[in-house]
Amino acid sequence: MKRDPVIILVVAMVVTIMLVFGLQMARKSSPDPSEAANKGMQGKAAPDFELKALDGKTVHLSDYRGKAVLLNFWATWCQPCKIEMPWFAELQKQYGPEGLQIVGIAVDEDASTQDLADFAGKLGVNYPILVGKESVEDLFGGVQFLPATLYINREGKIVDKVFGLKGRGEIEESIKKALEPARVAQVVNQTGK
Amino acid sequence: MRYRAAKTSVIAAVLCVPLLAQDFSQHRPPSVKMTDAGVTNVTRGKAGNVTLHFEVEHGYHVNSNTPTAEFLIPTSLKLTAPTDIVIGRITYPKGQEMSFEFAPDEKLSVYSGGFDIGVVVRPLVGVVAAKYAVRGQLKYQACDKAACYPPKQLPVDFGIQVLKNAPAAHKNPAQSPHIHR
Repeated sequence: MKRDPVIILVVAMVVTIMLVFGLQMARKSSPDPSEAANKGMQGKAAPDFELKALDGKTVHLSDYRGKAVLLNFWATWCQPCKIEMPWFAELQKQYGPEGLQIVGIAVDEDASTQDLADFAGKLGVNYPILVGKESVEDLFGGVQFLPATLYINREGKIVDKVFGLKGRGEIEESIKKALEPARVAQVVNQTGK
Repeated sequence: MRYRAAKTSVIAAVLCVPLLAQDFSQHRPPSVKMTDAGVTNVTRGKAGNVTLHFEVEHGYHVNSNTPTAEFLIPTSLKLTAPTDIVIGRITYPKGQEMSFEFAPDEKLSVYSGGFDIGVVVRPLVGVVAAKYAVRGQLKYQACDKAACYPPKQLPVDFGIQVLKNAPAAHKNPAQSPHIHR
C-alpha cells in the first residue's frame, strides 16, 4: 500500500495539535496545575504531624480532632499571605464557635520565632502559628509556592488543597465545606446517583 | 516504501516534540537568568565598571533591592573576587512601583522583565595582568500575581581582563597652533 508522506506528516501534526489543545483545555478547567495535581489528596485522611508552636508548645494535628481545620502554609516574605491572614483571623472569630480551627504553619527558613510572632501579631492573627518543617510539607504533597491552604473536615479528611491567594468568598465556601462533611457527602451521593 | 513512510512519521513526530515541550514547560518554577557578561577590560590600579544584566521570566516579578514592605526579601548580589581584586560599590536599579491583584492599594518596589546591576571592580596595582573570574550569587524571591515562590540563589560569574596600562588611546599628532604655508 502506498502511503503519501505528506499525509502522514499532516496526520502527525493534527494529532499533536489536538493533544496540545486538549492539554490547554484541561488546564483551563483547572487553572492551577498544582491544584489539579493535589486533587488526588481530596477525601484522604490528613496525616498527623507534630510541630512546635511559637510559644514552644508541641502541637499535633490530631489535637484538633473533631474540628474542621484550615491549615495555612505561609512565610514572612509572602506578600499574598499577608492579605489573607487578617481574613483568617476574622473567619476564626466567625466560624470558631461552629468548630473551625485555623492553624498557620510558617515555612520561613531564616526568620526567628520572634520575627514570626511580630509578623503574625501585626496582622492580628488570633490562631496558633506553628514553625514548619519540610517533612511536614511533604506529608501534604509538598508546598511549591505560597500561600498554600488545606481544608480538613471534622472527620480528619482533606476537603481541599488550594495554592495561591483566593478571594475571601472562596475561602469561606471551603470553610463551610470543611465544617459540613455530612452535608457534602449527601450532596455527592445525590449527584453520583 | 514502507520504510520511507515510517521514516517520515518519525521525522514528523520529532518535529512536533517542541510543541509539546513548550506546553509542558509553562508551569515550571519562575526563573531569573543572567545574560553572559563576557570579559571586561580593567586597568590595574584603576576602577572599572561591569554591568550585569538579568531577565525575570514573563509573568513574574522579584523584589527590588529596596522593597517597600517589611519582611520582603530584597534582590541582592554577593560576589567573591580573587585576591588583589577588590569589589567596590554594587549599584542596583530603582524598582518599578507596581501594585498587584493581591494588594491593589499597595505599591511594591519590584523588578520585572530585564534589569541591570552595576559592579565596580578595582584590581590592585601589584596584581598580575591576566584574566580573572569573579563569582557570586544573586539572591531573589519571585512572585506572580497570586503566589510567591521560595527565595532562590542564582549563580553569577563574569570575567575581568586586568591590563598593565590603560589601552592606548588614539592620539592625534601634535599640531602647531600656527598654520605654516
